[in-house]
Amino acid sequence: MRRMIAVATAAVLAATLAACGGGRVRGSDSDQPAVNASPAAGDTSPAESSGAGTSDSTKTAQPSGTFVYSYHLNVVTDWDPATSYSNEIIAMENIYESLTHYDPATGKVLPGLATRWEESDGGATWTFTLRSDVTFHTGRAMDAQAAKDAIERTIKLKGGPAYIWDSVKSIEAPSATTLVFRLKYPAPLDLISSSAYAAYIYDTKAAGSGDLVDWFNKGQDAGTGPYTVASWTKGADVELRLKAYDKYWGGWKSDNYQQVEFRVTPQVTTAWQLLQSGDVDFVDRLNPQLFAQAQKVAAIQTTTSASFQNLLALYNTADGPMSNVKVRKAIQDAIDTKGLLAALKGADGAASGVVPEGLLGYTDGLQLTQNLEEAKTLLAEAGYGPDGKKLTLTLTYAQGDDDQQLFVTLLTSALSQLGVTLQATPMQWSAQWDQAKSTDTAKRQDIFVMYWYPDYADAYSWFANVFHSADPPYFNLTYLRNAQVDKKIDEIPELTATDKGKAESVYQELNKTLVQDLAVVAPLFVEKYERALAGDVKGYVDNPAYPDVVFVHELTHS
Amino acid sequence: MVTYLLRRIGQAILVVVGVVILTFLVQRVVPGDPAVAWAGPRASAAELARVRTQLGLDQPLPVQLWNYFVGLLHGDLGISVHTRQPVASDLGQALPASLELVGTGMIIAVVVGLPLGLIAARFHRRPADVAVRLGSMLAVSMPVFWLALVLQQVFATALGWFPVAGEYLNSLNQTSPLHVYTNITLIDALFTGNWPIFTSTLEHIVLPALVIAAYPAGVVAQMTRAAVGDELVRDHTRMERALGFPERSIVTRFALRPALNPVVALLALVFAYALVNTFLVESVFNWPGLGTYAVDAIRSTDTPAIAGVTLLIAIVYVVANLAVDLVQAVIDPRVRLS
Repeated sequence: MRRMIAVATAAVLAATLAACGGGRVRGSDSDQPAVNASPAAGDTSPAESSGAGTSDSTKTAQPSGTFVYSYHLNVVTDWDPATSYSNEIIAMENIYESLTHYDPATGKVLPGLATRWEESDGGATWTFTLRSDVTFHTGRAMDAQAAKDAIERTIKLKGGPAYIWDSVKSIEAPSATTLVFRLKYPAPLDLISSSAYAAYIYDTKAAGSGDLVDWFNKGQDAGTGPYTVASWTKGADVELRLKAYDKYWGGWKSDNYQQVEFRVTPQVTTAWQLLQSGDVDFVDRLNPQLFAQAQKVAAIQTTTSASFQNLLALYNTADGPMSNVKVRKAIQDAIDTKGLLAALKGADGAASGVVPEGLLGYTDGLQLTQNLEEAKTLLAEAGYGPDGKKLTLTLTYAQGDDDQQLFVTLLTSALSQLGVTLQATPMQWSAQWDQAKSTDTAKRQDIFVMYWYPDYADAYSWFANVFHSADPPYFNLTYLRNAQVDKKIDEIPELTATDKGKAESVYQELNKTLVQDLAVVAPLFVEKYERALAGDVKGYVDNPAYPDVVFVHELTHS
Repeated sequence: MVTYLLRRIGQAILVVVGVVILTFLVQRVVPGDPAVAWAGPRASAAELARVRTQLGLDQPLPVQLWNYFVGLLHGDLGISVHTRQPVASDLGQALPASLELVGTGMIIAVVVGLPLGLIAARFHRRPADVAVRLGSMLAVSMPVFWLALVLQQVFATALGWFPVAGEYLNSLNQTSPLHVYTNITLIDALFTGNWPIFTSTLEHIVLPALVIAAYPAGVVAQMTRAAVGDELVRDHTRMERALGFPERSIVTRFALRPALNPVVALLALVFAYALVNTFLVESVFNWPGLGTYAVDAIRSTDTPAIAGVTLLIAIVYVVANLAVDLVQAVIDPRVRLS
């Protein structure tokens, strides 16, 4: 009897295991359902291509090799280019393209699917001229009507950062290569069109009569970019594989990469070893120790560049002790940004004002420097100190963020020298944000530490979201309500579209007001990207407007 | 027997229901808005409101709990925040890979631990015994995360004997596509005769499986040593010696079988423990299993996925305990199920 039970148990287990699968093929181009074999065009190799769609017949060589990107998180959360707003940007930017592209080196907007553009009506009308040699991976031609349909669908779905198109009143496609935007108010649409999210042009007819969202969610793409999805296996070591799109308008060279693999590697030590063993070509981040080690290895290249993401300490200007500007200025004086940067060992760069360098609005000369004597005096004037009241401040910051933890440790130590007690609490973002938005103002913190980055290469994002009056507060966690500041912020979109010089001076004025005069924010540092890549990869340039993206088509290899 | 089985299954269901209630409540009492985890840190107020309605977060807590229970009965564990796929389907993909790793680790543990335990018992207080005790103590006390990093650094990076990470060579998906039936790569590759993937998986599994095996091998060796040692001083052993049986037969034939009972009981618990241990090991070796899935879920505050993993581990514990009781009755005639 017992043996029968054992045999029966084994049989049930075997049957259960067998039921787990259905004889599908894993990770190949024919893998279903977690895979795409883009219809028609993507199935032939570049060598078989007639060269149609490429502007230069010498560009139709057969690319070779596989570029392996080691990423520390899962890659794809949302396949829909209209709503995508997460890690998948590292793949999407190789699959989809936008009308324009931002170049941080010059601060200029470069052509993408649009070859040129012009604004009229004081920045309220924008006319883009599109390329005529572009096809979607679905095989359909990309023309002005298709671009109009894509942007209108993105606006309609209101997902991700679709708000970037808020200024758009209507879109017209008077000819196959002309796209006209009529705006509700002047805005820099060339810059907006270069956004890393919500600006992709895609084939809205890819699903035919089917549901396009479902179609995308099967891991299929309808872009115009150099690569198309070959296989997607959620949860696998190599989550995503892209292959070269043979009819890419930009053409191919023999030393371009034919395939791109995204390998999920949560541990930096593992990523480092995979890079050393030649299993991966690019690691998006290492820790400071491993990065220093990588810099000494001849077969590995390293790059360091500033990002557009900075760490801000936002002061509660509405309630509690920080509502007194003298206390805010005293805290500003207590912050040792030099010491912080030294402790971070080059992983982050100095911040000057709330706008990182490389964006319109960057203001030099606003770096914070520690002055404890001045801080003591200001606190005494505000009634705090040995002869006054005891001051206790609350601060919330991101749980698990070592850089923020370091800042908190240094600030706690500096404030203790001033007799100020800092009660710092590490929290998950959702909890930290919830508490900061609490309707009970007593529950809100005195100092809120958070990162901010723009959705497209425009400093307006900081000012409109973080410093403009908002009721109830959303991202404005300084709780600042200042009509003059609001007025200046509201001027920016139109000036950016029509008079960049004037926009720059408004930005500088705002920076000075917020950091020095009102002291509502302490910009602490600008995050740096430290990349490590295989020695034979050529042509890699970090573009902070597209965080963590490697534009693989721009690379070559030996 | 049947009554016993029904009673144990009833108890197991109660335990699982308790775990479900606890995991659900923990999901809801954790500070922060689950809608933010879903919609992203920069979601607009309208988007958050839409997500709250979509996920049913705007309903009263008892209604949410009831819906969760009803969903569970239909195999619906909710949708994962970080993969946007049904949690049940994610677990169905991840669990087989973990079972493959833990199963291999357990086989190594038994194959290594049991003989070592016997040797230690046979040569009680002699150098072999001391060596086994020291070795097993070391295996049990070493942190798995540290051991994983050391093995990876030495045997993969420095010596190049084994691959650094992954389940098998990824290019094989294109040259030798694997037909998946059980989602356990070794089994699928073996039964479909896919030797390139089979051998590649074996190469890749050695290091993580050794790390997983370290703790159970140490425990099995120590437990076998103690249990067999107990048997070797009993009356039946004296009689066997008097009858002239060789010492090797006494140890392996007469002392081992009664000594196996506590070892088997321990194995089930160690198996469930090893499944949790894989969380760190899989993360180091990029093994696409439950551990990697759980670590990703924790990083992204993916409460439905965390709850799903917790529930699954609880079920494994309950089933393992039940299985041990049944197996003990099979291997030891002294055990009565009543």
